[in-house]
Amino acid sequence: MANSNLPRRIIKETQRLLSEPAPGISASPSEDNMRYFNVMILGPSQSPYEGGVFKLELFLPEEYPMAAPKVRFLTKIYHPNIDKLGRICLDILKDKWSPALQIRTVLLSIQALLSAPNPDDPLSENIAKHWKSNEAEAVETAKEWTRLYASGA
Amino acid sequence: MGSSWSSSSNNNRRRNNNYCQNPSQLIASSSSSSSSSSSYTHPPSPPPPHGSANPPPPPPIYSSYYSSGGYSTCNYPNPMMGRANFGPNYPNQNNGWAGIRPPMMMMVGPPPPPPPPPLPPYVDHQQAKKVRNDVNVHKDTLRLEVDQQNLDHHLVSFVFDALFDGSFTIFYFAKEEPNCRFVPLYPEAYMPVKVPFQKGLGQKFCQPSGTGIDFNFFELDELSRPSSGEDVFPLVISAETCLPSVSTEEHLGNPPPSSFPHMQITQAVIQRNNEKAFHVRVVRQILWIDGVRYELREIFGIGNSAPESFKDDDPGKECVICMTEPKDTAVLPCRHMCMCNECAKTLMLQSNKCPICRQPIEELIEIKINSVDQ
Repeated sequence: MANSNLPRRIIKETQRLLSEPAPGISASPSEDNMRYFNVMILGPSQSPYEGGVFKLELFLPEEYPMAAPKVRFLTKIYHPNIDKLGRICLDILKDKWSPALQIRTVLLSIQALLSAPNPDDPLSENIAKHWKSNEAEAVETAKEWTRLYASGA
Repeated sequence: MGSSWSSSSNNNRRRNNNYCQNPSQLIASSSSSSSSSSSYTHPPSPPPPHGSANPPPPPPIYSSYYSSGGYSTCNYPNPMMGRANFGPNYPNQNNGWAGIRPPMMMMVGPPPPPPPPPLPPYVDHQQAKKVRNDVNVHKDTLRLEVDQQNLDHHLVSFVFDALFDGSFTIFYFAKEEPNCRFVPLYPEAYMPVKVPFQKGLGQKFCQPSGTGIDFNFFELDELSRPSSGEDVFPLVISAETCLPSVSTEEHLGNPPPSSFPHMQITQAVIQRNNEKAFHVRVVRQILWIDGVRYELREIFGIGNSAPESFKDDDPGKECVICMTEPKDTAVLPCRHMCMCNECAKTLMLQSNKCPICRQPIEELIEIKINSVDQ
């Protein structure tokens, strides 16, 4: 079973996430798999995602922390660095992963990505194009999607 | 308190480390403690490996902290050091951090010397050598103050610890000569001032009024940097103790080199800020002990790694990878102390990059801090 031989690091990280959650972020392990986390990130204020509650899934692979956690948005989001499957374009989840990073720091980075979309390094070509050609309109669409899909209902 | 130190390397430089130092070569360390920080240095050349089954290491081709064996450490925590440091160096060599790294030993032309011994296990454990620092200038306390009785002149002040009586010598534009001797380049502008001190910890030194310097003699640009070869620094403070340090080292036929004074040298540059006040920036500190020159380098993150205070739930002291063991291993060349030795070995097999800064790992140094003296 996945929960046997759970590394001490994962137990510690989980305890600290639950006892001292980062502002606007919650992460709790699944009951049947302690490597699978249900995550919620609140849309940062002064971003198009403000007021939204975004659900994500986070999985710690067997090699963790030598390999990065796998993270994906479950809530639909209009963001140039997140595609329609919820996959996230973020360097620390790929080649810039370091074992000194943690679940907490990864989720904080994702929260920061919501505050600072980067259309120059896109995962969704169309959204990035929209962002670069008419940012005000793209932001409006992002706000609309937040209302439609991330209203926390 | 005792400390040991080992290193591992992922290339053939490690063969130079592949021998055991005789534990009798430990130098006595100071035992009083007023500070939680320490210093790590190591000698530039290995002592003879008597008592060891291993062959002596080949003579180092490049004198560097990598190719020499036996890191040495001050006792931990050491009251004499402001911060954690390590790394030896030589006068009149390229003293830049990067410059002391030997090139990879790639031989072209003549056949290589005898093949290296079989690859040792990942971390070569070595008995560390400890050196005691009899006098320490706290480098972050070094200041220049206007001489109130002579407003054109500036005086030096700083906080220091001394285990013995001794003297400070303040030089401006002093050139480093062999054997850690310093010679002023412009004696006509400023003759070095020698001021005695008495032993004691946490003392404040203020240069006596009337012995200061008038910076108008010098260009700001000249004051703000060392010479290109880094052998001349605008400000050099040499702290020398009267009693040569007595070591417990067995010299086995060699006369103890106790005729050398025991010194700590602080080399600094002088800059002028927006308010036109002069301030000092320490560039380097050197130890000169028993005729060996050690250059002090900081290890980042060592300050909160003492195991006696290690608690299971202290994020500052635990290995960043397993978050379970206390961190005891520093990465070279970036000097981040952030891992336990087990995780460090695993990491070398994986990404081989420092978890903190992502620089490639060239070598690991294990700094074991035992609670019982050896």
